[in-house]
Amino acid sequence: MSSKLQREIGHDEFDPKGTLALITIYFVIISVLWIFMYFVEFLGNDLTVVGAIA
Amino acid sequence: MSLGANSGTYLDQFPGEAKVIRTAFYSSFIALGIGALMGLLQVFHRLDILRLIPSEDYYSYLTLHAVLLVLTFSIFFLVGVFTWAVTTSLDRGLEDLRYTWGWYGLMAVGTLMAGVAIIGGFFDSIPMSAAVLYTFYAPLQAHPLFYLGLALFIVGSWLAGLDWFRSWWAWRSENPDERIPLPTFMALTTTLFWIISSMGVAISVVVFLLPWSLGLIGQVDALLTRTLFWFFGHAVVYFWLMPAYMLWYVMLPKISGGKLFSDPLARVVFVLFLILSTPTGIHHQYLDPGIAEGFKFIVMVNTMFLLLPSLLTAFTVVASMEHGARQRGGTGYFGWLRALPWRDPVFAGMALAGLMFAAAGFSGMINAGMNINYLVHNTWWIVGHFHLTIGTAVALTFMATTYWFLPQLTNKEIWSKSVGLAQVLLWFVGMTLMSNAMHRSGLVGVPRRTAEPQYSGFDYEVAAGSMAELNMQVAIGGTLLFISTLLFLTVVVMTVWGSKVDTLPANGYAETLSGPEDAPLVLDNLKLWTAIAVVLVVLAYALPLASIIGRRGLFGPGGSPSPQFIDTLVFTGQAIVDSAVGVIR
Repeated sequence: MSSKLQREIGHDEFDPKGTLALITIYFVIISVLWIFMYFVEFLGNDLTVVGAIA
Repeated sequence: MSLGANSGTYLDQFPGEAKVIRTAFYSSFIALGIGALMGLLQVFHRLDILRLIPSEDYYSYLTLHAVLLVLTFSIFFLVGVFTWAVTTSLDRGLEDLRYTWGWYGLMAVGTLMAGVAIIGGFFDSIPMSAAVLYTFYAPLQAHPLFYLGLALFIVGSWLAGLDWFRSWWAWRSENPDERIPLPTFMALTTTLFWIISSMGVAISVVVFLLPWSLGLIGQVDALLTRTLFWFFGHAVVYFWLMPAYMLWYVMLPKISGGKLFSDPLARVVFVLFLILSTPTGIHHQYLDPGIAEGFKFIVMVNTMFLLLPSLLTAFTVVASMEHGARQRGGTGYFGWLRALPWRDPVFAGMALAGLMFAAAGFSGMINAGMNINYLVHNTWWIVGHFHLTIGTAVALTFMATTYWFLPQLTNKEIWSKSVGLAQVLLWFVGMTLMSNAMHRSGLVGVPRRTAEPQYSGFDYEVAAGSMAELNMQVAIGGTLLFISTLLFLTVVVMTVWGSKVDTLPANGYAETLSGPEDAPLVLDNLKLWTAIAVVLVVLAYALPLASIIGRRGLFGPGGSPSPQFIDTLVFTGQAIVDSAVGVIR
């Protein structure tokens, strides 16, 4: 791999802002899915209740 | 890092160990081939496309598929990977190769015994069967050969762990002031929680299931054997996952052209898995009557804590890839992604496996939530979930890294990197289709572990799309996965048939941006972390187990009564848990 390296980036120069961007997108996705879950669980179906005595 | 004094491929450095690892890998690949075929036949059977056998034999398909893939394929591969990791990072061979072949032999014989018992179920002339699924608790009963085989297999894996410890002990006596090299640290912490967690299944098999199948005892308690199974059954997923994590930490940064972002963070992650893997198993039993809500609540909290090391891993691994991409000239917030070596099947397979694991994180959170779990419990959703974790995060990482390991172990070049790339992409596409459809089917109530999930006078109400569309996705996805497996095996066979070359890169693993010198010494204190792990297991399991045994006896209702003191213990513990839950709520 080293033949393709264009520059050496050390510990202090490296700022992983791309990682921050990707992880932020992931958090947005799982947050939206978490809200969507409310509709799947509670509005799309009858309540999933166990233990009720008829 | 490349090893200066002893450079060359792994085969050049450690020819004896390379032979063991190669053999373990080949055993793993044979299991993969048979397991994948069973998977395809199951898909066709369930969807009523092709039913080659009567539906009552479907469960033998299912057992063979699951046991061969999640136990044999993954564990044979990972003992090879950890052996590579320990020998490479300590730069020393194993202590005694006869011992090493001994544990390999135990695992191989154990697999054959379990496999024969399962395959016997397909033939009326063979008086044995083991259609007990991978979750082999009572009341389903298998032939004793199945349980004996599993016991040998697990003992073999313990002895493998001891082998790595022996190497480390020997190395430590010569290097008393050195930090444990990261790959060895990962192998050792994984071994420790594997031994703790597999105690549960060992007790279940040796004390209950095996004597029961031999007719020595008349009955066993289904709930107790379920609980002991899940004591092991959730931690085992981390036993599969940790070698994949290790490869993401020590291999992926190197393949990306960079360095591991942080050695200390990696150590923290493995310590967290050591202490949290086992006291979470009851989250598979949220719907089991007989275990109090309070205990389930504690386990849910432990399970949610496990998201932490996975999120730390997502950050560290992506940051390490980004470091590589920027060293290769990548720029911008997202532009660096284009600078990664996507045409390399090793990189592409591992990166796509990681991406799938991110998706699995979401469905895992649903499974872990006590209330939401009721919606998906025992449906095809769960099957969709673990085909993303073990079936992609682990399996695709193992297949992709085979394209790196195989040349190291044979001194032969990979037969075709293009076919390798097509193979990993095909797996990703196939799994996207199949897993997505399984998740959605689960939401409308399609059951798992069912040979014929079609019912007369009843239609599943799919909110968007249709059942036909979901079934089509599963059929196409399953077929693509099977083709991908065939391509993988073709590349392996053709590579092994090839001739040796001397232009291969040297054995080694990624260097670090922030190395072990930045990690607190306490992280290497394996005794401390093991003690904490044991305490957490006792906290999570002592009272539920005491409660089950106290109320139902060791062998279930009608079986032997339990000692009276257990009732007192359970009553006190239950009172404490209820008041603690009351305070939290």
